[in-house]
Amino acid sequence: MKPAAFDYHRPAGTAEAVRLLSDLGDDAKVIAGGQSLLPIMNMRLAEPAHLVDVTGIAELRQTTVDASGARYGATTTHMRFEYQLVPDVTGGLLSRMAAGIGYQAIRNRGTVGGSLAHSDPSAEWPTVMAALDAAVHVLSVRGMRRVPVRDLLLGFFSTALEPDELIVDVEVGRLPASTRWGVCKTARKPGEFAESLAVALMEHDATPRIRQPRLWLGAAADTPVRLAGTERLVEGHDVDAVTADDLVVPIAADLGADPGAGDPAARYVLHLHAVTVHRALRAVHEEVSDE
Amino acid sequence: MNEVTVHLTVQHQPRTMIIPARTTLADLLRDHLGLTGTHLGCEQGVCGACTVLLDDLPVRACLTLAAACEGAEVITVEGLEGPDAERLRACFAEQGALQCGFCTPGMLLAGYYLVRGRQPLSREEVCQAMSGNICRCTGYNAIVRAIEAAISQGIEAETAPAQTVPRSSGAPAAGTEE
Repeated sequence: MKPAAFDYHRPAGTAEAVRLLSDLGDDAKVIAGGQSLLPIMNMRLAEPAHLVDVTGIAELRQTTVDASGARYGATTTHMRFEYQLVPDVTGGLLSRMAAGIGYQAIRNRGTVGGSLAHSDPSAEWPTVMAALDAAVHVLSVRGMRRVPVRDLLLGFFSTALEPDELIVDVEVGRLPASTRWGVCKTARKPGEFAESLAVALMEHDATPRIRQPRLWLGAAADTPVRLAGTERLVEGHDVDAVTADDLVVPIAADLGADPGAGDPAARYVLHLHAVTVHRALRAVHEEVSDE
Repeated sequence: MNEVTVHLTVQHQPRTMIIPARTTLADLLRDHLGLTGTHLGCEQGVCGACTVLLDDLPVRACLTLAAACEGAEVITVEGLEGPDAERLRACFAEQGALQCGFCTPGMLLAGYYLVRGRQPLSREEVCQAMSGNICRCTGYNAIVRAIEAAISQGIEAETAPAQTVPRSSGAPAAGTEE
């Protein structure tokens, strides 16, 4: 339960960091908060020969905000989102999602860039950043490129990052005042990874009508899934007229799953997703009626 | 670079340590400084027994590389001092909030963070906030009671001499049990 030996590098700037990554190649792994990487290393599931620790790089902790949105430095911790120590350009959605990650001690170390680079589909950031159509800026010795989060996440622990690329910041567009959000996370215990994770965005409506819904589901496949068919089904309906049961068939279709599967466990999982999406939809309107 | 030199402060005392790079903060504290109050349970971030304060915030010492603590201040259960720490220890003693004691250092550090926050928390909120610390004796009721009591005493100590100041910051909504 101790990590295998490695060489440790602590660059002071991004140029030095990407130079190291370029020189060290496949044997190097970037570490930021380490809240996912260190458990894996402690269990010897990963034994990188080199660790490049980017937490000493001041520019990766910076946030810049303008009218269009924010660029959050890659090593901004979950805690800083949770307590809005960085401006939240999504009307509280980022703060709410961050507060659901692990435990306080985890949120104090874990980072947004690290979570996206790790690409665990049951984690909070991949799903919410995909829902918000956020993008990462990625640096290597070849220069900077912008990668939408939806293109970054390729599968379980698999991303479009080259081994020598470093996420520098996460660009999140400002959510218009007319856009409302609701989220729901289903987990056995607070702090656990989600068994189902739903993010619902929609346009404000004075009535309980579901208007232009964008629904994203985490922990259901190897990357976050947009529930496009479910969106079409619920569009224009009164939220009170939609039940969780109504959502099972369209969600199954969006996931490519069989709602009539003989396996009760598979049917249970679909039902869990339907309940989670239903609660996220309802949460949108609860936020609105609170005003 | 298998070995690294790290400068950090432990219980307010500056230290320069030359350690293998793979040393976690927990192993640095236990094996190199003899501070065995920081316990190692799961070493994968789940049990919370290794919780310490790093730059005033609770972290998992098993999931923190010592090398990454360059310039940081570390406080372990042995160095937990001040009125809030004393309140918390007294409440743990009064409530009998430990059985085997293995989880206690982590419970105290995580609880200290809540007491210091000066936010009234409902029982459910205390349970939520403490959900990252596992007690395998399952002595949770007494632990939660002790932390609730210490939070209340901390708030009373602050508000008693002066007039009560309404708390209206952007902090998360808190219940008002009791």
